[in-house]
Amino acid sequence: MKALLFSDEPKNLKEIITYFSNEMEVTAISPEDDSVKKYGAKKVYFYKDGFSDNISNAIKKLNDTVKPDYIFISSTILGREIAGIVSSKLNEPCISEIFAFKPGKMATTKRFFYGGKTVLEEESNCKLFTVSPGLTEAKEISNESESENLTLESTNYRLIDRKEKKMGDSDIAEAKIIVSIGRGIGSKENIDKIMPLVDALHAKLAGSRPICLDYKWLSEDQQIGLSGKKVRPDIYIALGISGQIQHIAGIRGAKTIVAINKDKSAPIFEECDYGIVGDLFKIVSALVNKINN
Amino acid sequence: MEIVVLIKQTVDMDQLKLNENSEPITENLPLKVDVLSKNAIEAAVQLKEKYSAHVTGIVFGTEKSTSAMKEAYAMGVDDGIILTGYKKTAPSITAAVLNNKLKDMKFDLIILGNQSSDSYSGLLAGTLASKLGIPVMSNAVGIDVKNENANVTIEGDKYDFVEEAKMPCIISVAQEINTPRLPNVMQIMSAGKKKIDIEDSGAVYNDNIHILSNKAPENDRKKMIYEKEDEGIDSIARILKGVAK
Ligand SMILES: Cc1cc2nc3c(=O)[nH]c(=O)nc-3n(C[C@H](O)[C@H](O)[C@H](O)COP(=O)(O)OP(=O)(O)OC[C@H]3O[C@@H](n4cnc5c(N)ncnc54)[C@H](O)[C@@H]3O)c2cc1C
Repeated sequence: MKALLFSDEPKNLKEIITYFSNEMEVTAISPEDDSVKKYGAKKVYFYKDGFSDNISNAIKKLNDTVKPDYIFISSTILGREIAGIVSSKLNEPCISEIFAFKPGKMATTKRFFYGGKTVLEEESNCKLFTVSPGLTEAKEISNESESENLTLESTNYRLIDRKEKKMGDSDIAEAKIIVSIGRGIGSKENIDKIMPLVDALHAKLAGSRPICLDYKWLSEDQQIGLSGKKVRPDIYIALGISGQIQHIAGIRGAKTIVAINKDKSAPIFEECDYGIVGDLFKIVSALVNKINN
Repeated sequence: MEIVVLIKQTVDMDQLKLNENSEPITENLPLKVDVLSKNAIEAAVQLKEKYSAHVTGIVFGTEKSTSAMKEAYAMGVDDGIILTGYKKTAPSITAAVLNNKLKDMKFDLIILGNQSSDSYSGLLAGTLASKLGIPVMSNAVGIDVKNENANVTIEGDKYDFVEEAKMPCIISVAQEINTPRLPNVMQIMSAGKKKIDIEDSGAVYNDNIHILSNKAPENDRKKMIYEKEDEGIDSIARILKGVAK
């Protein structure tokens, strides 16, 4: 079985290569980054500065020569755009955001539905899929993939300006303990008040979507949830987070969830292992005292 | 300038309940305009106000979609078309239906939400753009028009960038692009009287995708909730200490 993989984000691509290369012969398309060659793909094609039009043309051409059984595209902003274009060009429907895949005469896939409330398990003869980030942990192997540089065709887009995003200094996806804050934190200044807990536990700091996107008190790459990062720490501590379904979708992989919320009826208490009803600032400082003693 | 805004109607997922088998009970759920479709409508109406454009709303939905269109009218959409025959989220089929309608229409911009809140697939913009043979820019947080070009500010995954493409083109918007306006009573009243074109889409769902199950993921969390702070602090501190070592 053969699979053709694409991501504009090397980190996601390494995960997908790891996930599929045991069962399939993998050809991957990646932005230039030699480290992608260490994860088990047979061949990696590197491109530079692509847009959705010329990258999807390149995917279509490789589809004609490699003749893959399946095409997997990682679900990033550009990835979804490209998956749509490839779906139309190949006249193949695409199943989106899958987080589990079993090949077969009919392939079986899983994805979230109703905004993360349910899991849809489907059986299809589809060839094209987008893959949710965080599919598996990327694992290096000893063999290196062959590689070749792709020359992309000209594009209809013009890049006027590009700014690297301000990223948090920590990679929360790998963290063992995450302290995560929601709107209950109240203000940016109040973040200082919970830092002693973060430090005492050697934890990484993360947040809900309003904290990272609307208020920008944390950086975007610290956002947990359906539209943010999906994490699997040993302990996830939710402070002043109500536990809306879109947030929960990001923490299903956590081994233990601790929630502190002043509202007894907050949905987070249905989704945690341990919870305390009360004021987060009072409880956090009491916890820090106990931990440091 | 002619702007088309694509509007999705979804069930109100906040009100979705599960049956004893953890399956969603979808009967009689209220319908609403999907979150990001509201941002798309607002973006289109803001462009209309800035460039005195004309905005046409299209809902691929059912006979029950008139409420969604009235909401769009109240927000400032000028004309509305409902294409009936929608059965489920299937981006390739939705794109085929919309392509069928749009290929004979005149437009400069098509605006839609970047991802819909049921499936998050985010595939419609690219699929439709390819069918119509026009450029597509996704996850916009700013839209401007310069001569014959659309100039779009995009929140990417790693970069924020500004991109430009020739119109006509498709732009999908992120939630952060704007705050959708709340129409006043007058606007809601007059929206109720406006004419809506309703056409049969002739949609055919011929994909080979079968649902094996649709259930809430298993939740085997312990749910030990301490309502007395002191008790909770003791046991949770112990657990945290154990892991943090
Ligand atoms: C398309 C879409 C995608 C989304 N994706 C995501 C996502 O990826 N991630 C995400 O997080 N959200 C996402 N959301 C948003 C989500 O629906 C919620 O709005 C959001 O998660 C709420 O954030 P919150 O819990 O911080 O705030 P709120 O819901 O406002 O909750 C704040 C909580 O703090 C508690 N509180 C207040 N003060 C205190 C105090 N002193 N001590 C203790 N508790 C206190 C309150 O009781 C309340 O429960 C998405 C929404 C949409 C529509």
